Amino acid sequence: MRSHWIIGIGKLVSWMSTVLHLGAGATWPGEIALRVNHGIFAFFVSQFRKEIILVAGTNGKTTTSLMITQVLEKHGFSVVHNSSGANLLNGVVSACIQRSSWNGTLRADYGVFEVDENSLPVVISIIKHKESVKGFTLVLLNLFRDQLDRYGEVDVIAEKWEKSLREQRAQHKKKSNSRNKKIIQIIANADDPLIAHLASIASISTPDIKAFYFGLNDRALFQQRMDHATDSIFCPSCGSRLAYEGMYYSHIGVWHCLSCGAKRPVPDIDAWQSPLPGLYNQYNTLAAVAALRSVGVSDSHIQNALTDFAPAFGRQEEFLMDGKRLKLFLSKNPAGFNASLQTVLNMKPITLLLVLNDRIPDGRDVSWIWDVDFEVLGNKKIEIIVSGDRAYDLAVRIKYAIQFQNFTVETDLKKAISHVLQTVKNGETVYILATYSAMLAVRKVITGKKIV
Amino acid sequence: MNHELTIAWLYPDLMSTYGDRGNIMVLQKRCQWRGIATRVTPVTLETEAKELSHCDLIFMGGAQDRQQKIASDDFIRRKGPVIGEMVESGIPALFVCAAYQFVGHYYKPYQGDAIPGAGIFDLYTEHPGDQAKRLIGNVVAQLESDQFLSTSSYDQTIVGFENHGGRTYLGSKMKPLAKVLHGFGNNGEDGYEGALYKNSIGSYFHGPLLSKNPHIADWLIATALEMKYKNDLALAALDDRLEWQAHAFLLHR
Repeated sequence: MRSHWIIGIGKLVSWMSTVLHLGAGATWPGEIALRVNHGIFAFFVSQFRKEIILVAGTNGKTTTSLMITQVLEKHGFSVVHNSSGANLLNGVVSACIQRSSWNGTLRADYGVFEVDENSLPVVISIIKHKESVKGFTLVLLNLFRDQLDRYGEVDVIAEKWEKSLREQRAQHKKKSNSRNKKIIQIIANADDPLIAHLASIASISTPDIKAFYFGLNDRALFQQRMDHATDSIFCPSCGSRLAYEGMYYSHIGVWHCLSCGAKRPVPDIDAWQSPLPGLYNQYNTLAAVAALRSVGVSDSHIQNALTDFAPAFGRQEEFLMDGKRLKLFLSKNPAGFNASLQTVLNMKPITLLLVLNDRIPDGRDVSWIWDVDFEVLGNKKIEIIVSGDRAYDLAVRIKYAIQFQNFTVETDLKKAISHVLQTVKNGETVYILATYSAMLAVRKVITGKKIV
Repeated sequence: MNHELTIAWLYPDLMSTYGDRGNIMVLQKRCQWRGIATRVTPVTLETEAKELSHCDLIFMGGAQDRQQKIASDDFIRRKGPVIGEMVESGIPALFVCAAYQFVGHYYKPYQGDAIPGAGIFDLYTEHPGDQAKRLIGNVVAQLESDQFLSTSSYDQTIVGFENHGGRTYLGSKMKPLAKVLHGFGNNGEDGYEGALYKNSIGSYFHGPLLSKNPHIADWLIATALEMKYKNDLALAALDDRLEWQAHAFLLHR
């Protein structure tokens, strides 16, 4: 493999972007390496001593993969993880380059990678072609509408995944007599009809592809009213309207099809204490625990390691500023935003800062804010401040949700943050919900002012 | 006199992808703030077409391909003919994205046969091929007609976001809604966006259309009232500063 010098260049780029604060250290080393040698990821893949775990889905990738990584590391394993959240192939390769020696040797047990929805088929195909890899674990969290201008519609993603999984299945059938078999473990969300459908297509009568399901069995958590932003309430097998015994959020719930008999698979795991608040984090926790079990980590180890889980950047991350607390919730699509709002409301907030940007990582289209149920903010004594590139769009949305209740528009993010800080007393918390680039901008404002 | 409007919302569970329900919220709230009572009738697959006849205003939005297929059969056979008659009689309607394509003569995908539309609007849509670029981005367009004029200095433009693969071409019975100043519009070729026929509007703008274009929302409401109560009712002015600021932001960007 003549990859040494490429890796050298990649490491150099990585080092330079860190030193020069270019902020692109998470993608460029991998991008350059891939342009020179497209097989570079396969070269890294073959070096992991144990397994590769891929985490995919619209919401929860970063938190779930971080949970898996932290538990494995506390258990004494070395893990390569794209913790920066750069989850295209170039981000995954960059994470490998950063951890490898100058000649490209990776001394690591596990690769835990969150993978972008569109990149998943490519990443899977590279891993499966590598003979030395015995198998891998694929965690499928959920599929929600997200940045339709960039990703396309939920069904388009599901189709790509289905094609990729069908290919795996066909190959396993063909190779069923060969000794060179890979075991694929799919950890799938039973409560998301589309995800459960995909896992069952891939695993049905294919002994080497195993599906494990996670889901909730707690009727007390069923919501009273259906969210508007539901995408998969029609049967993925036959197209009829699905019936729900109850919905936990969005289209996630206990579903069955009255027409063809398809129904939610019985979860292999349905309860685990989540280290973070929020229903969506219960799902992330269940997914992480199922993945860890599947690679042989014992329940007691998982339990111990998860109790002091430190959240990923911008995901319920806490800051202290002038004696006041700020809690930052990345909220980038209707399902995520609804989940954040629900979680924040449970914390009885005094002040809420909402920040909407429309840069490339946020999606240029801000229409999705009309699919978020901001109506839950009505009739509550919460001070709301709206900011970001598209502050006025968000302000109009809030106006139509809660009428003329008091809220402030402040397009200057720095001013918006100092304003919200004045609304709470020492020790009290300001809650901030922000889209991706807005979340990074908020962090910059806060951390630039010396955080404790 | 107490006024009341019934708004038909077609396929809210199938055709509401790009924040489309925002149009319904805007119509409802702008009525409510003026003391006009509203009722929204969700028209789904299971709804009888005759329910539509009680409605004073029609809205139908965009959909994903799978949902579009589920809705299309029902629309062409059952709801479409009734809506066609209502549009002909001057009931105001708003058709956005997939709905805009649905009400035309046909939609021709890049593979396979043309899918017939309801033929309510004299227009057709073609997808130029899987290599063709989707038309995506913010759009600003200058209104062609002066019927939407309001008291705001921004009332000659509409702003929004478009995201469509199909290219729509208007027939001789249609008037374009607006001339594109920035973005693509109906087909990215002739420089026009949307369509006007009788009191109905077709548009590729989501965002949603009515949230940043209160003059269009008010025109739909005023027209619906006029059709129902047979006299010209002046709508009370509202404080639209936020709406126009959002409008102006895209206009000046």
